[in-house]
Amino acid sequence: MAGIRCQSVRKLFGTFEALKSVSLEVRDQEFTVLLGPSGCGKTTLLRIIAGLETETAGDVYIGDRRVNDVPPRRREIAMVFQNYAVFPHMTVFENIAFGLRMKKMAEGEIRPRVERAAEMMHIEQLLQRYSGQLSGGQRQRVAVSRALAVEPQVLLMDEPLSNLDALLRLEMRAELKGLLQESRTTTIYVTHDQVEAMSLADRIAVMWNGEIVQYDVPIKVYQEPETTFVGGFIGSPPMNFLDLRIERQGGEAAGRLGDARISVPDTAAGHLRLGVRPEDLEVLPSGRGESGLAGEVVVVEPLGPHLQLTARVDGQTVRVTAPADLDVRPGSRVTLRPNPARLRWFDPDSGRALH
Amino acid sequence: MRTRWLWVALALLLSFWVLFPIYVIALSAFSNRAEISAWPKSFLPEHFSLETIAFFFGVEGVWKATLNSVIVAVMTMVFSIGLGAPAGYALARFGFSGKDAYRLLILLTRAFPIAILALPLTIRFIELGIYDTPLAVALVHTALALPFAILVSYSLFLGIPREFEEAAWTLGCTRIQAFRKVVLPLALPGMAATAIFAFVISWNEVFAAAVLTLQNRTLTAYLLTRLVEAPLYFQFAGGFFLIVPSLIFIFAVRKYLFSMWGIASR
Amino acid sequence: MINERTLPYLLLAPSIAFLLVFFAWPLVEAFVVALTDASGAWSIDNFETMAADIYFQDALVNTLLLVIVVVPLQLALALAMAVLLRQLDAGRDLYLYVWTIPLGISDLAAGIVWLVLLSERGYINTVLAGLGLIEGPELWLSYESPWALFVAVVIAEIWRATAIVLVILVAGMQLIPKEYDEAAEVFGAGRWQRFIKITLPMMKPSIQTALILRTILAFEVFAVVVALGGRDLPVLVSEAYFWQFEYQDSGVASAYAVLILAISMLATFIYLRVLRVREEQLA
Repeated sequence: MAGIRCQSVRKLFGTFEALKSVSLEVRDQEFTVLLGPSGCGKTTLLRIIAGLETETAGDVYIGDRRVNDVPPRRREIAMVFQNYAVFPHMTVFENIAFGLRMKKMAEGEIRPRVERAAEMMHIEQLLQRYSGQLSGGQRQRVAVSRALAVEPQVLLMDEPLSNLDALLRLEMRAELKGLLQESRTTTIYVTHDQVEAMSLADRIAVMWNGEIVQYDVPIKVYQEPETTFVGGFIGSPPMNFLDLRIERQGGEAAGRLGDARISVPDTAAGHLRLGVRPEDLEVLPSGRGESGLAGEVVVVEPLGPHLQLTARVDGQTVRVTAPADLDVRPGSRVTLRPNPARLRWFDPDSGRALH
Repeated sequence: MRTRWLWVALALLLSFWVLFPIYVIALSAFSNRAEISAWPKSFLPEHFSLETIAFFFGVEGVWKATLNSVIVAVMTMVFSIGLGAPAGYALARFGFSGKDAYRLLILLTRAFPIAILALPLTIRFIELGIYDTPLAVALVHTALALPFAILVSYSLFLGIPREFEEAAWTLGCTRIQAFRKVVLPLALPGMAATAIFAFVISWNEVFAAAVLTLQNRTLTAYLLTRLVEAPLYFQFAGGFFLIVPSLIFIFAVRKYLFSMWGIASR
Repeated sequence: MINERTLPYLLLAPSIAFLLVFFAWPLVEAFVVALTDASGAWSIDNFETMAADIYFQDALVNTLLLVIVVVPLQLALALAMAVLLRQLDAGRDLYLYVWTIPLGISDLAAGIVWLVLLSERGYINTVLAGLGLIEGPELWLSYESPWALFVAVVIAEIWRATAIVLVILVAGMQLIPKEYDEAAEVFGAGRWQRFIKITLPMMKPSIQTALILRTILAFEVFAVVVALGGRDLPVLVSEAYFWQFEYQDSGVASAYAVLILAISMLATFIYLRVLRVREEQLA
């Protein structure tokens, strides 16, 4: 078991800067998720840690060892690839045993290890089959078994669930979480799916444009996003962003949105961006003198467990999650009362959160 | 559909057109001497006789020529794969400057007539003392087959995902081990087909073999020179023996044949 | 991966070295030999000798005629076969396999096969006699009937080499999604119209490739001609062979080689121009 440290890692592909200067410190036994849209550099970073790409600048440490010049086979890692890379000309058993054979382990020891790894992924009955005879989900399990069998210091996973259909993805996610919690291997997991990230991670590193934007525990990333990008990327439906003018009355600053006035943190700016999540807005019928944001409902989507409302407030679009039995229809005038503890303020130009 | 039968009839007709001459020469090769000079010819086998074939191999020089053809073809096969497979792998796995120029060079080689190659080399080979040896012919045949071998192995390796090798690296393999254990088994069938096709290219080639050999003729060169004065049975048997190995080998690689030629023409 | 940079070049080096020695160099050398006279000085003696030779004109004309006759016929036949293949479901693979058998047959062997078929007491004559078209054994392949010889070569070449064109065309056709043809049908185009307006234009790149390849190979026609007619029907490559092997004159032989190269390049250039494929029109 070992921690991973990346120090100012930079990667250029020709003139394209895939990683700008990334520093990351993953603790021993921690499950870190690299989350971001395609092109953000998360897979590149993972492959550099694996040794499959060479960094242009910077250092990578696995444990206390600097591994920049160490080839993948000697970094004591194991990797699960996005397309599984299960060798088609070998049986499942041979695939799982592959890493152990490379280590020159005795046959007598290999068999129980392989069987145990297969049991962990519930594929013991498939050991004599070939990859071509397996479904996508089964192949994925083989890929994970193969990585677990070598009992690596570090487990690297490159979007392992993205090629599975939705239901299978759900099941595998839960299985993986249970499994990896038990084995407590240091894991780095790459995905673009923020639900996966929230579910699996001890800490999430949100990446964008070759940089790590925020690296924190899921609940903090969710409730206290560092930038509007993070707020908008995490959570479905995404965080609402409302632009407010700042008015000063007698030394006190307040945000104006239509007729509503909201107290804002101390700032010299003329405009601020408010981030508030759909579930943190309470819907009240208007005209009862409540303080809040006045708006008009445009779309009502009855999703089952709750209603998803799209409303217009001062010309801006807001999404709200409301109780399923609320009596609203398109055209209803409502007052939206934000939960003051869940407001997040951002600078409109940089997108960075105010503290 | 009425037209369905028309298509099938046409297809059968065309197939007949291809197969009939081959059938005929096989028929002749296995007839006896009397039947060969007979008139009119019969289209059905009457006796099965190895007389013609025996006579053919009895002629001085035939066995030797056949042996030479085999040696040259095997050498061509080995050289083509030995030079071509690494190049194909490099093209498939790496991006590097000069890649496009290299590919263009390979394509250009197919545009040149073989006469160009064999004639100047004749002089050089005489100087080097390897004129009239199987090696000399094999070298020219390799020049013919190499571009093909490169392009096909390029396509072959492209079809094997790089992730397989990367997975092997993370599981403890060196580059060479990963190639041996993961890539090679998957590439073998295609490689074998390419090797066989190189063999056939060499076996069939006429001009270079004829120009570059004197005493140690290959079968094609031998037949070329002897054909004019040769009696009928000799012609029949010779033709048959030129065709047979090709037919067998092409049958063996028929799965790949079409995709290989299609690939190599891109 | 330490020598990730150098590895590709290392892997390519043997093939590059080989091609330089056994390809690039002979190419240059052929020109040098052709343009050098007996004393070693630059001259066009060889070309003059070549042009003055009694067989030269025939060789040139025969070669050109063969190409002009054979290539278009083969293109048409191969197109027809490729289209036919598309209409068949059952046994399609079998037909394709049979039709590509000639790919594995040496041009010498093809020549011999048709020599056998067309010999005086051969199978073709048997059929013709049976149909009452001729009376007895007829001699087709003699210098006395150069046209019969020519036709025989054309037939043999078509039999042997159509498969080369066919394979390229079929590969190209497979890249055309069926939807285009289906859309055209929905909008009212008949079978022939669909072929002319949709299929054929989309096959332009393949046709171009096939034509270039086949034409270059056609200029090199050799063994088929020698098998069927010895020197009765001279062509460029057979003349090059005779000058090199019989007369031992590398100079003139190389002159022929250079001529063949020049004609091939010219033809290629013409094809690339006339059948130019515009980038935007590709799928």
